[in-house]
Amino acid sequence: MSTPTAVAPGDSASATSAGTASGLRLRMFSTLVRREFWEHRSLWMAPLAVAGLLLVCALPTHGAFQINLDDGVQWLDPGHKAILFALAQWGLSVPHYLVMIIVLNFYLLDCLYAERKDRSILFWKSLPVSDGATVASKLFVGLIVVPVGTFVIALVTNLLFTAIWNLRAVFGHSPELVLWDTVALLKVEILMLLGLVISILWYAPLVAALLLASAWARRNVLLWVTLVPLVAIIVERLAFGTHYVAGLLEYRMNGIWERLHIEAAVLGSMTSVGPSEVVSLPRVLDRINIGPAFTNIDLWLGLVVAGAFTYAAARIRRYRDDS
Amino acid sequence: MTQVIEARGLKKSYRATRALEDVSFTVEAGRIVGLIGPNGAGKTTVLKAILGLTRFEGELRVLGRDPRSQRNELMHDVCFIADVAVLPRWLRVSQALDFVAGVHPRFDRARAEGFLRKTDIRMKSRVRELSKGMVTQLHLALILAIDARLLVLDEPTLGLDLLYRRQFYDTLLNDYFDKERTILVTTHQVEEIENLFTDVLFINHGRVVLESTVEGLAGRFVQLVATPEQAARARELQPLHEREVFGRIAMIFDGRPASDLASLGEIRTPSIADLFVAKMQGVAA
Repeated sequence: MSTPTAVAPGDSASATSAGTASGLRLRMFSTLVRREFWEHRSLWMAPLAVAGLLLVCALPTHGAFQINLDDGVQWLDPGHKAILFALAQWGLSVPHYLVMIIVLNFYLLDCLYAERKDRSILFWKSLPVSDGATVASKLFVGLIVVPVGTFVIALVTNLLFTAIWNLRAVFGHSPELVLWDTVALLKVEILMLLGLVISILWYAPLVAALLLASAWARRNVLLWVTLVPLVAIIVERLAFGTHYVAGLLEYRMNGIWERLHIEAAVLGSMTSVGPSEVVSLPRVLDRINIGPAFTNIDLWLGLVVAGAFTYAAARIRRYRDDS
Repeated sequence: MTQVIEARGLKKSYRATRALEDVSFTVEAGRIVGLIGPNGAGKTTVLKAILGLTRFEGELRVLGRDPRSQRNELMHDVCFIADVAVLPRWLRVSQALDFVAGVHPRFDRARAEGFLRKTDIRMKSRVRELSKGMVTQLHLALILAIDARLLVLDEPTLGLDLLYRRQFYDTLLNDYFDKERTILVTTHQVEEIENLFTDVLFINHGRVVLESTVEGLAGRFVQLVATPEQAARARELQPLHEREVFGRIAMIFDGRPASDLASLGEIRTPSIADLFVAKMQGVAA
C-alpha cells in the first residue's frame, strides 16, 4: 500500500470524498442486485418466457388452435369492445403475476440458503460487503425489482399483444375483437400499479419471513416454512381450541383486499349494453377506492415486522458459524 | 503501525470441546507467517477469529480494529481464501471480475485480467466448468488484484497437484508480496513451503506452543544426527525429540549451543517440518 498522499484537509476534500463514498455504495448495491439475477436466472427468464408465450398466442394460428369469432363479434358494439379491451389488459397480466409469485417464493427461500449449501458464503464474506447490505439487496430484488419489472414486462406484453391483434384485424385475418381505448388502458394500468404498491407494502412481512427462513434453516427451507405454520395451527386448535394463527395468516393473505370493497364496486357497476346487462369495467375502476388501504394501521405495522425479520436475517448471516 | 495482528488470551469453546485455550501472539507487517498445527489444533478457529467470522473471548486487534465489531471496515484491508471449493459453481469468470470490481474499491481489474491471461481460463466459462486447479487460479487472480494489507490463506492449495501448488506460491511471492503486506498461511504441506515463511506459529490443543522468526529458529534449535552409542550421551543433554533414521538417531535440542553437541555427531539446522513433529510429539516418540 502506498503511503497516504498529501490530502489537504478541508471542506472541498471532505465533500468530494463524501460524494465518492455514496457513489461507491450505490455501485456496490447495484452490483449486489445484478448478482442475484446471475445466480437466479429464473427471475428474468420466467417473465420473458411468459411474455413470449402470450405473444405467440396472438400470432396467426391455423387448425385446431384457430378461434373463430366471426359470428360472435357481430353483435358486439363499440361499448362492448372497449370493455373487452380493458378486460384483456387485465387478463393478459394475470399469467405474469401468477408466475412471478411462484418464482419469487422459490427465490426467497433459496437466496440465503444456497450460499451456505454450496459453501460459497466464505467467498462472499471475504469481500467488503456487510451482511446488512447483502440481505437488503435480496429483499430489494424480491420486494421491488421483480414485482416492478413484472409490471413493466406485463405492460409491454399487453401493448404488443394488442398491436399484433389489431394488425391482424387490419389485414382481415381476425375479427376486430377489441377497440383501442387509451383512457381504459391508463385506468387499468394505474389501478394495477396501485395494487402492486399495496401488495408490496402488505406482503413485505411475508417476503421478509421467507428471507429469514432462508437464512436460518440448516436444510429443507420449504419444509420449514410449510410445517411451522401448519403445526402451530394444529397445536393451537388441539390445545386451546382457538385459531388465531390461522386467522392471522389468512388476514395477512387477504385482509387488505377486503378493505377495498371490490365486490361492492363490481355489483354497483352493472350497465346495460344493447339487450344484455354486463359489468362495466371502466365504471368498476372509478368506484374502487384505494385510500382505505393506506390508512390501514396493519399495513404499516407489517412493515415494522418486515424490518425486524430482515434485521434478524442479517444478524444470523453475520454471526452464524457453521461453515 | 507495524503490528498487523495482536492477539491476547483468545478463548473459544464449541459446546463441550475447547477449541482455543489461551492463545496470544503478534504478527508484524511485511511478514509471511506459517500457522502450523495438527488437525483440530485450533488453526481455523484462530483464522476465523481474525476474519470476524466467529465469536470468541479475549482481546484481538487486526490492523488496529476489532474483527467482532468492525468487520465491515476491516474487510477493506483484509483478503482471504478459505478453501478451494468456495467459488460458487454458477458464477462466470467475467461475472466474478464484475462483482469484485463492483464491491471492492481497491480491486485492480486489469491486474486480475493480466493474471488470467497467463492461464487457460476463459472469460465466459462458469466455475463449474473449470478444473479444481483453475478455480484456485481464478480465486488467486481475484485476490491478488486487491490491494490489501493482510492476506489470510487457509489450506489454499488443498487437493491440488504439485504443479498448481508450486505455481500458486510462486505467484504469491513474486507478484504480490512486499514489505507493506502481510500473509498468514495455514497448510498441511509444511515441507513444500517452509522456505516461504519468515515466521512460524505452532499451535496445538488450542495453545501456541512456538512463536518465532525463521532466523530465530536456526539460532535456537539444533538437530544432531548421532550413532546409537553417541546418542546415549546426547540424551543426557535433554533432547526435545528423537527419532531413528536409517540406524542413526536424529535428535532435536532446544536452546543448546551447537558447540556443546559438535563432538557427539553431525550438526544440522532442523527443518520446520522436523521441528513441527518434535514440538507436537515431544519426547514420547
